[in-house]
Amino acid sequence: MAPFRLNRRTLLKGLGAAVALPTLEAMLNTHGTAYAAGGTIPKRFATFFFGNGVVLNKWVPTGTGANWQPSPALAPLAELKDYVNVVTGYMVKTPDRRGHHNGAAGMLSGYPFIEVPANGANYASKFGGPSVDQVAASMIAQGTTFPSIELAISKSIVRGEGPTLQYISHKGPDRPMPQELNPAALFNRIFGSFTPSDTTDPRNQLRSSVLDAVRDDVRRLEGRLGSADRARLDAHLTGISELRQQILALPPEYTSTCTQPTPITQTNTNVNGKEPLEAVSKAMSDLVAMAWACDLTRVASYMFSGSVNGTVFHMLGQTQGNHDLTHDSGKQNQVHDSVVWVVKQFAYLLQRLKATPEANGNLLDNSCILFTSDVCEGLAHSITDYPILVAGRAGGYLKYPGIHVRSTTRENTSDVLLTCLRAVGANVASVGADQGLSNTECAAIKA
Amino acid sequence: MTATPKYRHHRDQRPMALLLVLACAVFGGCTGQAELNEEVSRPDTPGEGPSTPGGGPQTPAFKPAPVTLRSLLGWQYRNAIAGLLGAEAANAVEPPPDSAVNGFDAIGASQLALSPVALMKYESSAMNAAKVALSSTATRKALISCTPTGAGDEACLREFLSRFGRRAWRRPLSDAELATWVTVGKQAATAYDDFYKGVEFAIAGLLQSPHFLYQVEVGELDLMRPGRRKLTGHELATRLSFFLAGTTPSEELLAAAERGELNTRDGLRAHAQQLVARPEARDALAHFFDEFLRLRELPTLAKNATLFPSFTPTLASGMREETQRFLADLVWDQNGDFRDAFDADYTFVNQELASFYGLAGAPRTGFARLPLPPESGRGGLLSQASLLSLLSYQSTTSPTQRGKFVRERLLCQPIAAPPNNVIPSFPEPQPGEAPKTMREKLVEHQTNPSCSGCHLMMDPIGLGLENYDPVGRFRVTDNGATIDPVSSFDQLGTFQTPRQLGQLLRQHERTIPCLVRNLFRAATGHVEVEGETAPLLAMESAFTASGYRMRELLVEIASSDAFRFASPQEVQ
Repeated sequence: MAPFRLNRRTLLKGLGAAVALPTLEAMLNTHGTAYAAGGTIPKRFATFFFGNGVVLNKWVPTGTGANWQPSPALAPLAELKDYVNVVTGYMVKTPDRRGHHNGAAGMLSGYPFIEVPANGANYASKFGGPSVDQVAASMIAQGTTFPSIELAISKSIVRGEGPTLQYISHKGPDRPMPQELNPAALFNRIFGSFTPSDTTDPRNQLRSSVLDAVRDDVRRLEGRLGSADRARLDAHLTGISELRQQILALPPEYTSTCTQPTPITQTNTNVNGKEPLEAVSKAMSDLVAMAWACDLTRVASYMFSGSVNGTVFHMLGQTQGNHDLTHDSGKQNQVHDSVVWVVKQFAYLLQRLKATPEANGNLLDNSCILFTSDVCEGLAHSITDYPILVAGRAGGYLKYPGIHVRSTTRENTSDVLLTCLRAVGANVASVGADQGLSNTECAAIKA
Repeated sequence: MTATPKYRHHRDQRPMALLLVLACAVFGGCTGQAELNEEVSRPDTPGEGPSTPGGGPQTPAFKPAPVTLRSLLGWQYRNAIAGLLGAEAANAVEPPPDSAVNGFDAIGASQLALSPVALMKYESSAMNAAKVALSSTATRKALISCTPTGAGDEACLREFLSRFGRRAWRRPLSDAELATWVTVGKQAATAYDDFYKGVEFAIAGLLQSPHFLYQVEVGELDLMRPGRRKLTGHELATRLSFFLAGTTPSEELLAAAERGELNTRDGLRAHAQQLVARPEARDALAHFFDEFLRLRELPTLAKNATLFPSFTPTLASGMREETQRFLADLVWDQNGDFRDAFDADYTFVNQELASFYGLAGAPRTGFARLPLPPESGRGGLLSQASLLSLLSYQSTTSPTQRGKFVRERLLCQPIAAPPNNVIPSFPEPQPGEAPKTMREKLVEHQTNPSCSGCHLMMDPIGLGLENYDPVGRFRVTDNGATIDPVSSFDQLGTFQTPRQLGQLLRQHERTIPCLVRNLFRAATGHVEVEGETAPLLAMESAFTASGYRMRELLVEIASSDAFRFASPQEVQ
């Protein structure tokens, strides 16, 4: 497909002169122009999360610094070792009021999680602040069609204890970012809905006008509400403006990096009662690589499996849910096997990024991907030695070849979050709050 | 918790909310039962709630929960689209999934913001629904009463939007609002030179407006009580209809609201009674049970296929239907004592379930009511394969999960999280060692002091259900060892079958207050606050006085002061 540009005149013709037109800036802002026109190469950030932790004695690599050897759990990353920094011995510092909840929120945001007053109803908690991917999105997503994408692989997600366990991406306590579980649907969302080159159909412009009117309804309503509801409607307004931008967006221009995407048709339907984990994970990885290559988004959160997930790693011959296994001291081998398998899927994502050329290198050179979990070891909900990988070079910000840094003083996991954010150009002063606050990077993994 | 006379919780009038606050504080690690009987400190101010027959002198003054926006739940959204635009249009929508907080989607819908992806789904759903609705001449005629003179017939457009807008937003549009949407419609009609395209885009817009997507409750000043807000007739019509019928208010109900008929407790009660007589009320209550009892998880529930090859998605869906039919029969067909749900000696099965349970007399097609033989031990919800399966792991039962459900969901007794850094030890049997039952394996739960505080609350309940395996089949051995199902439940007595447990649960002083609270939470989208104690007690009393008729409870909730009034939301 030839690169396509829409000019204002074509559009006006399609709409007819009598129509009052809203502003068209969004339509004229084609994708990728910033760096195609000589700007800097964008940096990308992702979190790759899996629930229930690891078996530490098979996770922590031998040797530190540059001389580390992949542990059994990290064996699938052997070929990508240069692109991986391993951080061990770090601790989630936020108060550990409840297993899994504290780890998920503390690790991914640095904020203490919020317990929703239950008064005898079911327990529920929320993130105390934005997750690191949303902090990144708020700072590095300018001009992209999708500020962030959220996706998940395993459908075994705990929905009964509030947003903390159900979602890994949050813009704030009341603003979880639900993940898409179906790769085909996510493909259609990202690649399938651009304003067509044939603009004789005024449909998208009218959809945009509708959204403008809805926005006015929201604004009028806001004035009559209390603070909590106003904040929710502010989020509503943000969503409307993002949606409007997406509706009016033009297709990306295809280049050597952003090649025409191969449609993804993989769905997330169980086959004989088994989750198609590998096929879905690969499809999602392909999708992230394509979306990043075309600069449609720069931020992704990838929930391989959720906190307290009951995912069955059937391909390993397992029949019990993962969370049950982690709490059974006799079945830690099976837990370890599942970790190796997840790392293998992570390796596929990294390989996919590495195989996508960009400028003089590849996508992985310009990315930072944080791989982590909600607990260190699920067995006892430990929080003092988190499994953390920081993959990619982030445009040269991160150490290459990667090292193993091991803290013996239980450093704050938020230090790693801060490093990741600054690595991708989100120059925040600090991350998290209270005991989870960090204003110190994990210097060892900086180039 | 001694075996109290069953009227106790009505005479005693202990505010359960306070009781639970105390329970939480004391639990820390669930130190056990004794504390639940401690006297709670009672507020000094005497209750002054209006029309609260249950309110005693210890009841805190009536102060309703704050108003809040509540987004329509997915199934309510679908029903509303069907009500406004027809079934075909409803088939074209895909609202975003709901998120539960404190155990109910409705509470999540009152607290969480709509995400960008949710708005995207609402947008495409609205566009699709409008398109489908306008695609045939027949539906056009049904929707639009005037005949447009041309693409630009503003009067006809305005007439339609005024009428449709009122239905969609559950209140009349203001002139300014109407003008906005007429402009949008005209723009589309002009662009396509087609009047109906204008209607289509305007409908799609009205369905994306916050006035459709949320139950907007602002209320009006209550002159009787400054500082309190009274929900408007339109707001009440909306609350009432989505609670009792799961859909947008009918034209008749909106008209009644406009005539002021919902402004009194009696008026509201009369309309609630009309709504519970409608077939939609069955569906709405079924949605509550689906969520409350987690039945909706059954179609995707996974079990170890090697151990339980008979547990297919069809069987699991049948289990869900068994429970739903059982409850619908009790509530709607029999209008019976709802406590029978815990120990009824019959159930509803199809052929597959009958052979699964080993029941004779299965119907050739569909479901039929069959008596449960006393020797089966079955009877009531907790003996149904639905709950027994849902509250088990994939390969084993979980007395803890079964007990936890009874405590948290049926008795409103929250269980604290397990402590960190405790490594449970359930060693695999050594060669030559005798096989262990679940009861023997869980001994550590009872003996390790960091576990027993909570597990003594939960495990004994589940251990009495051990004769029913992870998919709810009867068994006498576990792991090769004979099961001892004799267990005790609080101080109410011993039991060894689910039906006996149901009989104890039936008389437990927390069962009814907890049921009332759960239904109230789902109905109003919030966990009850202290100031709602008096109306909650009144609901309990009315439920009791009715002989525990669920329909009466539904009507009582819908006409309660806690349903009619609200506090303003804080403004910072």
